[in-house]
Amino acid sequence: MSWLWFHKLGSPKWFFFWSKSWALPVFCIGCFGLVVGLVWGLAFAPEDYQQGNSFRIIYIHVPVAMLAQSCYLAMGVAGLIFLVWQMKIAPMFIKAIAPIGAVMALMAMVSGAIWGKPTWGTWWVWDARLTSVLVLFLLFMGVIALQNALEDITLANKAAAIMSVVGLINLPIIKYSVVLWNTLHQGPTFTITKKPEMPAEMWLPLLIAVVGLYCLVAGLLLWRIQSEIILREHRSNWVKQEVMGNGL
Amino acid sequence: MTYRSFLIYEFLVLWRRKQDVFNALLFFIIVVILFPLGVSAEPAFLAQAASGIIWCGVVLSILISIDHMFKEDYQDGSLEQWIVSGLSLPLLMLLKVMANWVVIILPLLIMMPLLSEMLFMPNTSFWALVLTLLVGTPGLFLIGVMGAALTVSVRQGTMLVMLLILPLYLPVLIFATSAVQAAQSGLPYSGFLAMLLALSLMSLVVSPFMTAMAIKASVSG
Repeated sequence: MSWLWFHKLGSPKWFFFWSKSWALPVFCIGCFGLVVGLVWGLAFAPEDYQQGNSFRIIYIHVPVAMLAQSCYLAMGVAGLIFLVWQMKIAPMFIKAIAPIGAVMALMAMVSGAIWGKPTWGTWWVWDARLTSVLVLFLLFMGVIALQNALEDITLANKAAAIMSVVGLINLPIIKYSVVLWNTLHQGPTFTITKKPEMPAEMWLPLLIAVVGLYCLVAGLLLWRIQSEIILREHRSNWVKQEVMGNGL
Repeated sequence: MTYRSFLIYEFLVLWRRKQDVFNALLFFIIVVILFPLGVSAEPAFLAQAASGIIWCGVVLSILISIDHMFKEDYQDGSLEQWIVSGLSLPLLMLLKVMANWVVIILPLLIMMPLLSEMLFMPNTSFWALVLTLLVGTPGLFLIGVMGAALTVSVRQGTMLVMLLILPLYLPVLIFATSAVQAAQSGLPYSGFLAMLLALSLMSLVVSPFMTAMAIKASVSG
């Protein structure tokens, strides 16, 4: 297998032009998938025999919760890549993904609270999953704050990378410790090894919504990285040509 | 500079800046006082909450003291000297953490009988508390030192260190208070102690290298 594609990722210029052609299609596919999944799930999927209609928040809650975790995973991997290979794109990736991840974690908490009120009778419980999402949110905020506080850009890159790697190492431990501490939340909806326990007309829209949100976030991410590249490389010639030729 | 002279220097600095250590300890005492006054002074409540109160106080005072661990060294250029000294920077970081741990935690442990008495802590769980402090606090220091190293060049970094490090402290806090509560209800707590030890050992593996990396980045920047 050739590693050329991987090394190419180290070049902001190559990444910029590559992502330019991908951002819009991916984003549109994502929007389409999310809308289809949500409309199908919210309007046409059958009611849950126990929870009634309130279960439908799953079509928002599960995608954002999955995204929040995936964003942190991706951020940690990018941090590791930066620490090992010093790839220029990695810190831009971290900078671009941290706010998205924070928003996803926040949305997971809010949607979970809205669901929790009718189902558990309370907005918030000190439950393992809720607490670990809260911690996830705080870890995202920590990385954002660290990047904003450090004025020197090389230091900010390195610090954010270190922090996201440390957070990635700690996240499973935090998760395990809070699970041991207290849990009330139901088990995961999707696992890779088992078939979902819901009927297909219930989980299929969910799957579409999840994939749609992944694509949507990927598109957003590519755009954010592009603007970060322009900001950081504004002295280089190709950026000047690009901006003069095609505008921003 | 040798490892030995570095360690002696660290202890000397800590000794000459006694006030910093005192501040951390006084801060700890004040946090502990806040709970009975602010929540409830009922012996039954305090006995239940004692381990949590003491651990929260310990976590906060460690964060307070760890925040300016590198500040002076950054300003007077010691950090550069460590980097160019040819000694292994991760090992130096480990020695520094060790010195700070001894200076902060030993007085804390000495105060513990008094405070546990003030919080009506049952005798059965007192030794569990001491053991969790002995096993768990090295991990707290090792995790915290990463935050201190990352924010060494930030002028007002205390809040930032708190934001960065407190989420990482949660597992230690949970296992420590679970251990003490298990001891309080007469259950075996060696499992929790083992988890605490595992956390400390794991941060021992990761933290010195990450700290050294952060220090190097801060100095060259």
